[in-house]
Parts: sequence; C-alpha cells; structure tokens
Amino acid sequence: MPLTLLWMQCGACSGDSMSLLNADSPGLLEAFGNLGVEVLWHPSLSAYTPADRRRLFADLQSGSRQLDVLCVEGAVIRGPSGTGMYDTVEQRPKKDLVSALARRARFVVAIGTCASFGGIAAAGDVEATGLQFHKEEKGGFLGRDFLSRSGLPVINLAGCAVHCDVVIGALTALKNGIVPDLDAYQRPVPWYGCTVHQGCTRNEYHEYRVEEKDFGERGCLFFNMGCQGPLTLGSCNRQLWNGRSSKTRVGVPCHGCTTPAFPRPYPFFQTRNIEGIPLDLPDGVKRAHYMVYKGMAAVATPQRLKDRKTGV
Amino acid sequence: MASASSTRIDLPINRGEGDLELRIEMKDGTVEDAWSVGTMYRGMENILVGRHPLDALVITMRVCGMCNVAHLYAAALALDAACAVKVPDNGQRLRNVTLMVEHAQSDIRHAFLLFAPDFVNPVYRSHPLFEEAGRRYQAFQGSTAIETLQETKKAIEIIAILGGQWPHSAFMVPGGVASNPGPGDLLQCLHNLTRFRQWYERRVLGCTIGRWREVRSASDLDAWVEENESQREGEVGFFVRFARAAGLDRIGRGHGNYLSFGSLDMPETTSVVPPRRGTTFVASGFARGTTVEPLDPAQVTEQVAHSWFREYEGGRHPFEGETRPYASGEEGARYSWAKAPRYRGLPTETGPLAERVVERDPLFTDLVRNGPSVFARQLARLTRPATFFPAIETWLGEMAREKESRYYAGQAEVKSGRACGMLQAARGALGHWVEIQDGRISRYQIITPTTWNASPRDSQGVRGPWEESVVGTPVRDPENPVEVAHIVRSHDPCMVCCVHTLQGGRAVGKLVL
Repeated sequence: MPLTLLWMQCGACSGDSMSLLNADSPGLLEAFGNLGVEVLWHPSLSAYTPADRRRLFADLQSGSRQLDVLCVEGAVIRGPSGTGMYDTVEQRPKKDLVSALARRARFVVAIGTCASFGGIAAAGDVEATGLQFHKEEKGGFLGRDFLSRSGLPVINLAGCAVHCDVVIGALTALKNGIVPDLDAYQRPVPWYGCTVHQGCTRNEYHEYRVEEKDFGERGCLFFNMGCQGPLTLGSCNRQLWNGRSSKTRVGVPCHGCTTPAFPRPYPFFQTRNIEGIPLDLPDGVKRAHYMVYKGMAAVATPQRLKDRKTGV
Repeated sequence: MASASSTRIDLPINRGEGDLELRIEMKDGTVEDAWSVGTMYRGMENILVGRHPLDALVITMRVCGMCNVAHLYAAALALDAACAVKVPDNGQRLRNVTLMVEHAQSDIRHAFLLFAPDFVNPVYRSHPLFEEAGRRYQAFQGSTAIETLQETKKAIEIIAILGGQWPHSAFMVPGGVASNPGPGDLLQCLHNLTRFRQWYERRVLGCTIGRWREVRSASDLDAWVEENESQREGEVGFFVRFARAAGLDRIGRGHGNYLSFGSLDMPETTSVVPPRRGTTFVASGFARGTTVEPLDPAQVTEQVAHSWFREYEGGRHPFEGETRPYASGEEGARYSWAKAPRYRGLPTETGPLAERVVERDPLFTDLVRNGPSVFARQLARLTRPATFFPAIETWLGEMAREKESRYYAGQAEVKSGRACGMLQAARGALGHWVEIQDGRISRYQIITPTTWNASPRDSQGVRGPWEESVVGTPVRDPENPVEVAHIVRSHDPCMVCCVHTLQGGRAVGKLVL
C-alpha cells in the first residue's frame, strides 16, 4: 500500500521545498518511488486540472480518500484578529484547511521552523504560529493535546530551511513503522541529537580559543561573531548541506535556526558576552569551569593557529 | 462582477511558488477581464524594523526560498552603500557566480517542473506532440523532470562550496563575502559547472552555446530548429514546435513595457565582457515596446489603490513607502495583498525577456516586434543560462588564479541614512530600500519581480502586467483554462516574494468587511 502524502504551504517562503529538491542518494523522486510514497499534492510539482484539484481536497476532507502523511510548510497564519484572512485559498482561510486535514491524517509533520515553532513568520504581526508550538510554548495552532490518528503529536522537522536528508529520513522511518524518539520540542532525536558544532572544520580554532572579530578569517565565530553552533541541535556539520559544506565551515555563523526561539531578537552577527565570554554557554556547562578551560586553552594555542595558517 | 452574458471563474494557480489566484471574467469563450490576487500576507518588511542593519542579510533571504541569493545580494548592495565600501574583485566575482548559478538552475527548474507540465494537460490530447510531452514532463515521472532535478542540484553545489549552503546562507556581507574559497574549492566548482553546461548544451539546446548565439532573428530560429535532429529534439527545439502549434506565440501579450534594474557588478579587472558596455553584466533599462531608455530609479513607485493596504494618494517611492494592511482580504475594489508598482506611472513586466529587450538582443527584439507573448517569455528563460555559463567559468578561473585579490574589504561602519540595492533576481527586477537611524533599521521596503508582474490595478484603474496579458485570450475549456495558466506561468510567478509586510508590534488596524 503506498503511503499517501499531502504537502501544504502556509506562511512560507518555499525554502524547505527548495531544500527537498536538492536531495541526493536518494534523490527526491527516487526516494518517493523506493518508499512507495504517493504524493497527492505538492504546490510546486503537482499538475491537476482545477476540477480534479477541488475533488482531491474534498475527498481528503470528507475522509473518502485516506491521508497518511500531512506535511505543512510555513507557519499557520491566524490574522487579522483570528480570521485567518491574511492567508486564504479560494477565499477561505487556509488555516481551516489545515485543521480539517490534520484531523484526517495518520501523521502530521511540520516541515521547517515556521511550521514547527512559528519561526520568521511569527516574528511579524500576522498572528502566525507553529502547528503545535508557539516558540517554546506548547500549543500553537492545533493545541497542546492534539494527536494525529496514529496517536502521535506533530513531528517537528525544524530548520530554516530544514535539511532534505531529515525530511527523507523521517518519511522513511514512518513508512517502515519506526517511530523515532522525539525530544522535548518534538524533533526526532536521530536528526536533532547532536549540535551544529560537531563536525565544524574550525574545531581546532575553537579548541584553542582563536576567536574572530570580523568576517573573512579562519577562526572560530562563537565568542564574537554570533555563532550558535555549540548551542544548537542540528545535523549541518554531520550530514552537510548540498553534499558539500555548511555555513560555519565557510565562515558564516550558525543562527540557531532549528530552535524554537529562532529568530532571536539579538543581532545575528554579534555574540552577547560577559567579561569576554559568551552569555549563552553550551548545554550543561558551568560558567566558572568554562572560564578556566578557555583561559588555559588560550595559553596553549600553537603559533600556527594564532597566525591562521592551518586551513579549514 | 459577472454580467448576464459573462461568467466569472476563480482560478487557483499552483506551480507559482506560493499562493496565487486569478479571477477571470469570460464571455463567448474569451477572457474579458482579470484580477490577480495575492492571497497570502506574511509581514516580512516590518520584521526588520528595530533590528541591526546586518540582520537584513539573514531575514530578507527568507522572503523567498527560491531567490534567496538574490535577496541576499540586494540587501548586501544596500549595506555596501550604507557603509560606503567597495567590494574587491574576488568578492565581486564570488557574488556574481552564486547569483548566476541561482538564476540558471531556477530557469531550468521553472521551465521543466513548473511550466512544461501544462503541456500534459488533457486539453492538448489531440496536439501532435502531446504524448512526447507526457514522456518528458509528466509531474514526478517525466524524463526531463527527473534529469532537471539531477542536474540542477549538482549546479547548486557550487553555491554551497562558495557560500555554505543553499538555500539560506548569508555569505554576502557589506564589503564582499565572508567566505574564502581556495583553489581546490574553485576547481571543484568548475567541474560542477562544466557538468551542468554540458548537460544544458546536450539536452536543452542540442548544440553549443556558440551555435545558439548565431540565432539572431525569428527566421534564424526556425531554420535552427530544423537544422539537425539534436536541435530539433532538444528541449528548446521541442518547446518551439509545441508552443507554435499550440498558438503560444499569439497569447499573453500585455502592455509591452519591460524593466530591468541591471545586475552583476563587474570586477575592475576581468576578461569577461558584458553584452552591452557598462558597469554591470546584465544591463539596466526600461523599454516601451522595443524603444529602450536608460533606467531612472526615481521613477519607481508603488500604489495601493486596489491593494488591501491603508490608502495613500497616487504612488509612493519605496523610500517613502509604508505597509499597513487595512482590510480583511474580502473582495471589492481592493482585492490583493500585493501593491502595484509602476515605472513612471506605467505597469511593466520584468524577467528574462525584459532583460533581452533592454539589452537590444536581436532575436528577442524581433520576437516582440508585435508585442510579447508566452512564447517569447519562455524562450528567453530557457536560453538565459546560455548567456551566463561562459562568464561563470571565466570568473571561477580568475578566482582560482588571482591570489592577491581579496574577498572582503574589511569591517566598515554602517552609517545612518538611506540606501538601496537594486538588481535582477531570476524572475526580474528586485529592490531593497532601507533607512537606518541610530544604528538600527527604521524602515525597509522590498519590491520583488512578482510584485511588478502580479500587480493589481493602480489608482488609474490600469491593469497590472499579467492581468493585461490574459485579457483577450481564447479559452477552449472554461473548466480547465490552461491558456490562462500558461500566460501567468510564463511570467514565472513567485508569490511568496510578492506580498508585503506588517509593522512589527503595532496594532493592525480595523477590519473593513
């Protein structure tokens, strides 16, 4: 039996769909074929006559056509004043369609940080929110008690954009009847269990506290340039982007885009510091210990790193 | 709205990157009138107010997942100006290469994943090339669709090697770029580019770029298609044959005004020669029909008479613009979340065809002699990568060899005042206008290419570009108006970009129902 999948876009930029198209080994169409996923609808790819499209959505809402996986990309827009009229489909609020389909689906998957937590869309004033979280607070559009027909809450595949391997990995798990462990923010642990810091090629510079204050250098970006890699759960430096690289590897700081708080209200390219040490420390680290460790690390720095001779 | 003898049809259009609906009024099988509706409003510009100026690099990329590098480049240009800093040659080359790769893969993906599936619409069942179109473009299965995904993702690796990831890496900063690719990285990019170019020449053109450049008129084009099997059966040759038989050269006319902001600032020292002499590789300009004039940025205004925003008289230049949504989205005289940009008060289309017309390209000047069409627009898009590949290769080579040139001019202070960044995204003219006060963004306005193309009527009641271009279209099956879909898709809509934003932290204002 093929797994039926419907992909909806709400308050979105399409970045997650674009990321998905970059999938390699397996490629996207290959993955769908191998997995036996029947994509009922994707806004960027599907080709229906208007009548067939209306019939599809009517059948899904009535339940006469089975919906296994509902993927929602983008935040649910409830404004203005709860009417949802900032985001309509055929003059009706799209949020109502999300609600109706979520009730039918066996699994509900939030694609990207906007759908998971509200993300960038929720930073505006259109009353945008995630499917089951509004930032760190559980609830969001569907409410804290929502469970899909399989008994699971919304699965949050966070990221701005989400990594294509994460989406394919999660769908593969669901097709095989494997329910991954979800963390406190309902992100599946296999893809959100390590930090962005793990695998960054600037690790030696980080270890010896060679910290940059400007762009275009080889050193670490954590202390001064706003990098949230050590604080952020994500597989960017493990699975790499586009099969090639990551932001931190090329010298762009991590912005913490998989976290519920993204985008934070602080400048992206500056680190908030106390006495020259970042205000936000890695999970579980005590400040007093960290200061001693970093103090000793700076003393131990070899000249080749001070001179930025070692490549990254 | 509908009179006794005309019918009104509401047409949601997907494969337009976001939410678009077109309301058309039909009479006797022809489109009499049309209203272009942007149905989703996200509030992007005002999210930036109060933030650090460099945050615009990160946030404005999220206006669009498809053209994120274009938004980044526009934001970076505005910040370059605000810092009064000049980008060194290698920084310029890297910026240009990434933007050109974004365009090229976007053009290909649009052509074969967004536009061409309409050739498989049941309306074309008796078209002589219908079955072949199905083999090539069937959604999720067509051979060209599959190859498109395989080849474009390899091209996109170039952006990841040079900038970290695609989409959504803010690797451009005021004064250049944050990255520092070494010769190994650059030579790998050349491999990826060569692979993409060779596929493009083999599958899309069916000939070398050099041979394609010799096509300089409509009659040259006809001869070229029939010259050999490779060109006839290539994607361009197939498109020409299918489109001509389907009458796509006779629909989608519109106002016949064309806008290009110009794009891709030239490095000071380079062996790349832009097609028209100038400081940018892609020329700027405005054309009424085929009469081209220089671009005057002060002529850009946005009107809100038919948009759901608080009213202001006439048009406002983006530096004076404001974005305060007013209505609930219910229909009436106001019907869209998109504003109506105008150039010197005129509606104008923007995109690859506009670039060719403004550049006085002989083939496209010939093709639009009697006005634009679906055919001309789509052909311009299909063949634009050919204009980019040689420059990308040269610039990658120059970066690999030029060890002295830097990628970044060094830290510069962001000054208070106004600045703008105007360039060509894949879909056409893109502009960012920023005002900075006391080290923070105090105003930010964005006009995207689709804002131009999808524009509603202005205060004179003059239709926007694609509204105008669908009027007069004969439609075979009102239940399935694929002709209208062709016209809209020939503009390569990106509706996620199109609509404007809301003042962060302020009350929305009263609903008007």
